[in-house]
Amino acid sequence: MEKRLIKKDALTGIIGKIAADTTVYAPVKVEDNVLFKVLEKGDEPLVTLANSKNAPKNFFFPRTEVMLRYTRTTKGMEFSGGEKEAGEAVLFGVRPCDARSFVLLDMLFDQEKYKDPYYIDKRQKTTIVSLACAHPPYATCFCTSVDGNPVSSAGADILLVDLGSDYLAEIITAKGEKLLKYFGDVKADAAADQKKEAIAAQAEKEIKVQIPAKAIKPILDVNFEHPFWNTIHQKCLACGTCTYLCPTCHCFDISDEMKYGDGRRLRNWDSCMFPTFTKETSGHNPRPSQKERWRQRAMHKFKYYVDNFNAIACVGCGRCVMYCPVNIDIRKIVEDISKL
Amino acid sequence: MENIDKKLREEAKRLLEEKRVDVLIGYETGTLPLTATPCFITNPEDAEKLVWNAFCTQNLAKFVHDLVSQHRESQKRVKPEDRKKKVVGVVARGCTTRSIILHLQERQYGRDEVVIIGVPCTGYVDRKRLSALVNGEDIQEGAREGDQLVVKTTVGEKKITIKDALAGNCLTCRFNNPILSDVMIGEQAPPMNPDQEYVEIEAFENLPTEERWAYFTKEMDKCIRCYACRQACPSCYCKTCFVEQSQPQWVGLGEDTTDTQVFQLMRLFHMVGRCVDCGSCSSVCPMGVDLRKFLKKIDKDVFELFENRAGSSMEDAPPLSRFNEHDKEDFTFNP
Repeated sequence: MEKRLIKKDALTGIIGKIAADTTVYAPVKVEDNVLFKVLEKGDEPLVTLANSKNAPKNFFFPRTEVMLRYTRTTKGMEFSGGEKEAGEAVLFGVRPCDARSFVLLDMLFDQEKYKDPYYIDKRQKTTIVSLACAHPPYATCFCTSVDGNPVSSAGADILLVDLGSDYLAEIITAKGEKLLKYFGDVKADAAADQKKEAIAAQAEKEIKVQIPAKAIKPILDVNFEHPFWNTIHQKCLACGTCTYLCPTCHCFDISDEMKYGDGRRLRNWDSCMFPTFTKETSGHNPRPSQKERWRQRAMHKFKYYVDNFNAIACVGCGRCVMYCPVNIDIRKIVEDISKL
Repeated sequence: MENIDKKLREEAKRLLEEKRVDVLIGYETGTLPLTATPCFITNPEDAEKLVWNAFCTQNLAKFVHDLVSQHRESQKRVKPEDRKKKVVGVVARGCTTRSIILHLQERQYGRDEVVIIGVPCTGYVDRKRLSALVNGEDIQEGAREGDQLVVKTTVGEKKITIKDALAGNCLTCRFNNPILSDVMIGEQAPPMNPDQEYVEIEAFENLPTEERWAYFTKEMDKCIRCYACRQACPSCYCKTCFVEQSQPQWVGLGEDTTDTQVFQLMRLFHMVGRCVDCGSCSSVCPMGVDLRKFLKKIDKDVFELFENRAGSSMEDAPPLSRFNEHDKEDFTFNP
């Protein structure tokens, strides 16, 4: 595929041009938070950010989504569709860890047994422009332990790599090629490729944290009942911070809301950390305490997903580590499990 | 501070060895630089982990309530004659003891079910404020040197005066020393700055209604309904929160702004006369919602109407659970 070189200071202009033609979601500073949001006139997209607080999965799998609407009439219920079909959009400035989360979510929402129309519609119409981490932004980054890489193009349609004075823009997919016209006509030479390789090697070295994430699956296989599960949940507040900021968490709950004769069926995010998670109508909950719910979180990421899709459901972005209000550190949990 | 850690560990170890407590809730050093995290100790040897410093953020009374209720729940399935009492030890600063007093006044557990290790407090570092002071750069290493924090980020080293990074509630705290304790560790801490307690609130009150409403809606728009605020709050101990009730469903679970506002408003109103201004809700909020502004306004109202500060003494009962014929009522009707 094509490769282009663009001057560093030209990038903001390019984003602006794309935004003039189509909807662009990019990281923007909102008060003290960096958030992915629709780029509006006057918004300054951050190109030198570390990473956004909210994960960009929100665009394919939003916190609330209307699945269908219904109206009670004299002839019975009348049903109509949910959200309007998504429009074409560009997701700009996605870090490689977050871009990889799309690959992982595709395994679930777009698979042989089940195809999720809501997710797939948006996913197909969105072009992802990734921004490689020439220097991994956080001390808590651990993407290389979970099959990721700071300069990886997995999940991206276009990958931008900061080469110092220029950006190397690599077109990865056919979808990405449609945006090629915005990236000028300076073709990248072999020297740029070499530079990229050097940067990638250096970036990988800069990731300080290595956890045995891939080694714990056989341990989890045989330790569903283990006293270890009594130790991690005690200080857990049972809030949803980790799961709501996680790029790969995807549990949801379906609820109906009805006002007078009009109703809508909603799909809302759920969290395995919530006491209502998997609570049944009878009042029974197969995961009655935070212990079982924490076991579920660890198992789902490092065992069940591996069982189902042969991939760990974690991209190593470090959000849950950084933002857990009581410092429950998934890196330490994985470490501890490896020693069971 | 070394000294206070040593005394704390000794005391905790003794309580556990003498079996005066079954479990002790305190703080240990966290896995991220400049953090501490709650820990639960049952083995006397593990008391060595305990620390008490400016990074101990959470109000541990929340966990006291959790442990006592869980234990009581588990005892329901035990024959009455075989039931055991569980005693929880807790490391408590001023606001934590206020929460415990509130729990005792609200008959959540007995005084004999909790052993309070009182610690003096000079305020805790607000992680979000600290982050803002280093322009949001990733904090990679950090150490305390006297009244300064030496913070190493990706762009270099920066020295920060601790006071600049303290949580807002700590700066104007009125009760930074324990009000109630069984054992007291260390000297009484010097007073903070309670005279300034309502300065921000007065400024807020003086704004026109539209501006106050605009501020409220702006803050609520940040909320992602992760419920960290509710979960961290020692006063939010309802077995089932109204948000989680489904028959009837009081509030929608979706992203609708009004639903979010209803959740937050209801939580705020449940805090009338019950907020001890520990700042836990604000500190745990991942999105930086300024919850304290509204809670402090309610706190001010309660003080002006009932001369009560939640949990400030065992004798002074919460205003909404006592009757006083001289209570002001001019806000209920205008004759």
